[in-house]
Amino acid sequence: MSERMTTTYSMWNLFRNCRKAAHWRYVLELVPLEKDRHLSFGSLMHECLEVWHRSRDLAAALDIIDRACAKRAQDEEQRRVWHLATAMLRGYAGRYATEDFEVLELEKAFEGEIINPETAAPSRSFILAGKVDGIVRIGDEHFLLEHKTAAGIDAGYLERLWTDFQITVYAYYVERALGIRVAGVLYNVLVKARLQQSEGETEEEFEARRAELLAKSKTGKSSARRRLPESDDEFQARLAAKYAEPEMFHREMLYISRDQFNTLRAELWELTQAFLDARRRDVWYQNTSFCFQYGRPCPYFALCRSGGSPNVLENFYERRPPHEELRAADAESVSPAGANETF
Amino acid sequence: MLPTEKTPPKASLSDLTVLAYGPSKIGKSTFCSEAEGALFLATEAGLNNLDVYQVPIATWEELLNACKALAEGKHAFKTVILDTVDNAYRMCAEHMCQKFKIEHESDLGYGKGYALVNNEFYRVLNKLALQPYGLFLISHSQEREIETRTGKLTRVVPTLPEKARKIVIGMVDVILFCDLEVGPGPDGKPVQKRVLRSKPNVNYDAGDRTGRLPETIDLDFAKFAAAFAQGPTAPAAAPSPAPMAPAASVGAQTAAPKLTTNAPAKAQAAGR
Repeated sequence: MSERMTTTYSMWNLFRNCRKAAHWRYVLELVPLEKDRHLSFGSLMHECLEVWHRSRDLAAALDIIDRACAKRAQDEEQRRVWHLATAMLRGYAGRYATEDFEVLELEKAFEGEIINPETAAPSRSFILAGKVDGIVRIGDEHFLLEHKTAAGIDAGYLERLWTDFQITVYAYYVERALGIRVAGVLYNVLVKARLQQSEGETEEEFEARRAELLAKSKTGKSSARRRLPESDDEFQARLAAKYAEPEMFHREMLYISRDQFNTLRAELWELTQAFLDARRRDVWYQNTSFCFQYGRPCPYFALCRSGGSPNVLENFYERRPPHEELRAADAESVSPAGANETF
Repeated sequence: MLPTEKTPPKASLSDLTVLAYGPSKIGKSTFCSEAEGALFLATEAGLNNLDVYQVPIATWEELLNACKALAEGKHAFKTVILDTVDNAYRMCAEHMCQKFKIEHESDLGYGKGYALVNNEFYRVLNKLALQPYGLFLISHSQEREIETRTGKLTRVVPTLPEKARKIVIGMVDVILFCDLEVGPGPDGKPVQKRVLRSKPNVNYDAGDRTGRLPETIDLDFAKFAAAFAQGPTAPAAAPSPAPMAPAASVGAQTAAPKLTTNAPAKAQAAGR
């Protein structure tokens, strides 16, 4: 039997959403040359939350942000990230100074078989790997802990959590790999504040504003003062006040039914068969409805629009082995789930 | 209705769409002026010392009119040179702002203004590229800091906004970076030579879909045309880019390893 392809939830989800994008990423192993700042922020917060939940040492967690944004004095983007991440983490530590759950595992990697639901035989082509943010115990039940950073929480966001394929995948595989019955998932949502550090106004801008006020003034006088740039301390204080608001953090607990596992197994198997078929025929069609799924272009939009132009490929993309999220995991992996299910 | 023969690869310079970019005064316009039957759509001053046919373009409407006249075909020009594509983009942005009665693209919410400009720019450039003439797009160069997964690198890129850069690079056949190369002179002392770089590199944008050009050519149209006529130097680039190397200064000659095709793993398809 040839070596089996390691797959992840991210791969199957992308394949389900757009086969073309999955082909770029998981077959040709392409990633945009430029790092996506939205993803970078989420990764940074995940790292901080791991340290926080492991040690409850806020200084150590904040130190990660300081090191990640070491050039914040010169780099505007780093300064923006540093302010947001620092305030978010401080606010989080304040909000959840005590927890009603016990942390059992953090950043736990797993690997398991993809099972044919009809024959109970494992796939000869694929295995599934992943990493959960955490496993916690509440009372006598176990839950997966899933961190999410979000631009905002609305009804749609909360509704979507119920359809989260990822968590069903993780719960199923963790349960089989670790022998822990997973009752559900505890979503830990951290909202990104939209506040911006004020740059103040230039002398010219101030003079223009003052002239406008004077023109409107009946007395011909104005007490307007030039708006100065907001200091780091002032901005942190403003962010801290924002993160004291209840809606900036949200915990949502969802239970997972055993029926969802059956559906998952069937869907996952179907996806493997569809992937094999696409690979055999080398046909990867584009789902154009997915090009602007998150309000911004898919990372492969430029490549698709150019018809796969080598010029675009070579100047905007680089080759990186897939499943980067797994490599950041600790080396401790568990034995393949479902290994007892053989022919 | 359906084709009975394959479309042959582009073998004539007049079939190509080329982006040539580089620092000011390096000789981009001079290089392009030597193309066969060259007509400049001059959106920027700077052709004073060149004996060329040119249409001065001050607005997007003027560019559209020039394109319309070209498309009618009542002329002998064989190569159209948009000098510079950067200014053409700015004119496009101004035109769209006037059309939608806004001061800036950002005045229309949710990126709509930018999208309108990019769509109009793409439409016109694409139509121009589909005409039976060679199309050379000239742009200046700038250094841009890019944050990659492994750190920051400084890359020389055309001075187009990011989305416009993606549009232009996606539609051209050849990207030529006009650069200075330092090498030993006749007396052994280092001398600077003007060159064209046509292969992708971590330090600058470049590319050659035709696969006919060598990595470096003197910035001389006759030599460029001769190299192109000589034929393929290597198989045309195929999907599978090279790993990134650390940032280097402008003009560095370290080429990224050549891309190779990552063949579909059909062999694995048998086993389910």
